[in-house]
Amino acid sequence: MKTNASIWVLLLVAYGAIPLTLGSNHYVMSLLVAALVIGGIALAWALLGNLGGMVSFGHSAFFGVGAYVSALLTLKAGTPIVIAMLLGGVGALLASLVMLPVLRLRGPYFALAILAYAHIFKIIATEWTAVTGGSAGLSSIPRFPTAFGFDFSGKVGSYLIILSVVLIFALCYRLIRASDYGIALRAMHDSEDATRVIGVNSVLLKALMLFVSAFMTGVIGAFNAHYINFLEPDYAFNGLWVTLPIVAAIFGGYRTILGPLIGAVTVYLIDQLVFKSLIPYGHQLILGALLVAMILFSPSGLVPLLRASVRRNHAAG
Amino acid sequence: MLRVEELSVCFGGLTAVNKVSLSVGTDEVVGLVGPNGAGKTTLFNAVSGLARPSSGRIIFDSVDVLRAPLHRRAKMGIGRTFQIPQPLHELTVRENLLVAQRFGAGQVDQQKIDEILEFTNLAPKGDREAAKELALTELKALEVAKALATNPKLLMLDEVLAGLETSGKRRFMAMLKELHQKFAVGILIIEHDIETISNLCQRVVVLNFGKLIADGAPDQVFRDPEVIKSYTGADHAGSR
Amino acid sequence: MLELILQALFSGVLQGGSYALIALGLALVFGTMKVINLAHGELVLLAAYIAYTVESSLGVNPVFAIPLALLIVCAAAVLVYFLVDLIRQDRELNSLLLTYGIAIILTNAIQLIWSADIRSTGSAWFQEPVVIGPLYSMRSELVFFVVSLALMTGLWWWLSRSWYGRAVRAVSSQRDAAKLMGVNPRKTELVSFIVASILASFAGVALFSYGVIQPSYGHVLTVKAFIITVLAGMGSIPGVLVGALLLGVTEALTVTLASSALQELAGMCLFLLVLFVMPNGLFGAAGRRG
Repeated sequence: MKTNASIWVLLLVAYGAIPLTLGSNHYVMSLLVAALVIGGIALAWALLGNLGGMVSFGHSAFFGVGAYVSALLTLKAGTPIVIAMLLGGVGALLASLVMLPVLRLRGPYFALAILAYAHIFKIIATEWTAVTGGSAGLSSIPRFPTAFGFDFSGKVGSYLIILSVVLIFALCYRLIRASDYGIALRAMHDSEDATRVIGVNSVLLKALMLFVSAFMTGVIGAFNAHYINFLEPDYAFNGLWVTLPIVAAIFGGYRTILGPLIGAVTVYLIDQLVFKSLIPYGHQLILGALLVAMILFSPSGLVPLLRASVRRNHAAG
Repeated sequence: MLRVEELSVCFGGLTAVNKVSLSVGTDEVVGLVGPNGAGKTTLFNAVSGLARPSSGRIIFDSVDVLRAPLHRRAKMGIGRTFQIPQPLHELTVRENLLVAQRFGAGQVDQQKIDEILEFTNLAPKGDREAAKELALTELKALEVAKALATNPKLLMLDEVLAGLETSGKRRFMAMLKELHQKFAVGILIIEHDIETISNLCQRVVVLNFGKLIADGAPDQVFRDPEVIKSYTGADHAGSR
Repeated sequence: MLELILQALFSGVLQGGSYALIALGLALVFGTMKVINLAHGELVLLAAYIAYTVESSLGVNPVFAIPLALLIVCAAAVLVYFLVDLIRQDRELNSLLLTYGIAIILTNAIQLIWSADIRSTGSAWFQEPVVIGPLYSMRSELVFFVVSLALMTGLWWWLSRSWYGRAVRAVSSQRDAAKLMGVNPRKTELVSFIVASILASFAGVALFSYGVIQPSYGHVLTVKAFIITVLAGMGSIPGVLVGALLLGVTEALTVTLASSALQELAGMCLFLLVLFVMPNGLFGAAGRRG
């Protein structure tokens, strides 16, 4: 009951209060949009980590592929943006197919292999000049259109789009987690062999999680391409698209659904407003330190920690 | 139903299972005995798909399953327990069975789950978290229950009685005796205690240093001088 | 054409020497601790930048930076070890995230201290060409190739002969059994970290002496070291050496026959090929599969 109520309040704030009060402040809105982009990747990353038991350092590949696919489809084939964005997700999913042989490798090997893969896509985007425009990049990528009499290309419109996308993904995550597959995946977390001998095809389930995660990240990447209207390989495949989400997910708690989102908003805003003013070039140093500190002192993140302390207070009161 | 032919499993230079042939029928309870390190668990691993044999054949229900992945063998009806119980973490007892049934048997049947829980004396613990709140006897029972939920034709039990105190052992024995009839499964059971084996099994197979050294009725096999030698030798090794 | 290819093969082999040192460090730590140190490439790069500082501020040959690099890189590696050792739960995954965090810290620290500019050596002695028949190399390449071989021989001797080396091997293959034999696994873990950082220091100075360095390069080095271990299987020193030479040669051939931009891509393709065709590596190490 109580959680439901607070979720409704949150939705009301996110869809109503924020656009109405802050909508005219372009700087704040662009910070929020960027934070939600990071939050979306963090959510997809955490889904793979929590359900699939895999740490990925290569999500920037999915982000970049999604961005490029959607941008190119709208630019060269005139595909409507909504469909192009979904196809961007599909493109990222196809990119993840290449990673299938890696799924049979154990934990650290998977993490490193996916890190290596991320490089491949960046090189392809840079070198395949005929299609991607090479390092010069793609410009005037179509903006979001006007629909229902509302201009979605503005800050508020973009904010509403990414907010909805991220929330839909969170809902999907929730549904997957509660399904039979989700239960089996949770079971696999500590005893993969024991789960396999009762008939669970663990490789298939992990592959499905990789596909879902890649698709989500691709769609987010596609959103971002249409939001900023410009792409270049160094930007679209930048390591930051995975570093920030990882720090955010770990900070918020990657075993929860809302943790990565809350973590993303918190970490991104602090990074932009505080760290960046402390060290203009190299503020990621603090992000790295934050990641190290979280792993050492509270590996399950802040959201579970807060929840526990709230519960304690309730018990005390 | 299960036929293993000339099966060998090697780890590096060590041959853990050496050209072993044996069979288990649908209506049989077969004991698998032998000293520690004789290759019993490795044989289980090879049949269930956890270890890759270097040569030989594994035929289950007249299908060669040597190259079949773990989960497919489970679906075909090969169920097993682990010597060290491996409950599915983070899940309740009932969810443990649910996963086994959904993926192993293909469909969910709550009634069957209730029946298995009742049979394995786990009914009162159905909603407890498996990994954290069960005693050893219950964890061992859960191993059996999980395997049963996959609707197996063959059940391989790896030392399910080891480590239990006397009363728990007696109850577990009673359960095992009924198991074969009630769920219509063939059973292959690893057990050290000769009395238990004689009590449960119609037939017993003996492994020593990875080789099959005897196969026959318990009272015959346990009189075989070679078997006795391997056993007393093992006892010395064990007490050192 | 043939001459070009021969030259590429030669340069690739020379480059493979330092690659092997880096990959061996990664494999050594993974062997004892079952931890992949994602900051390993950054440690190598740290040594390279120390060489740059020593050369540019003292005006001496970068070789003289080796003692200082050893000191600083070993200290950094020991720090990494103690941080990893602090992890209490789920070490396999958490150590990846932890060392990833450390890698980010190091990359940015390097960028803050030395700026994002590309650096290379100014040492004339090192850049002196050495001509062997039709083949050409810089003196630094040859010198450090020999040094790499010497270090690898030393490592091989150490692992097979010395007590600590044998302890490292014992812990790598049978951790629990090693404990029973009185080997302290934590001590051997620390030793393997230190040995890895010694190799990294030499490799770093070597990279600076015949190539260009920039802050983002550390990450690339970690990936390369990983690719080599996939090629080789984490197992043996000769295996890693062959894997490293193979990567070096592949890269050099790509640069000669195609374009330097595709250099990394070629390494990746080699890696993919091996993963698909020979999932256990060229020399078949068991235990990689889940």
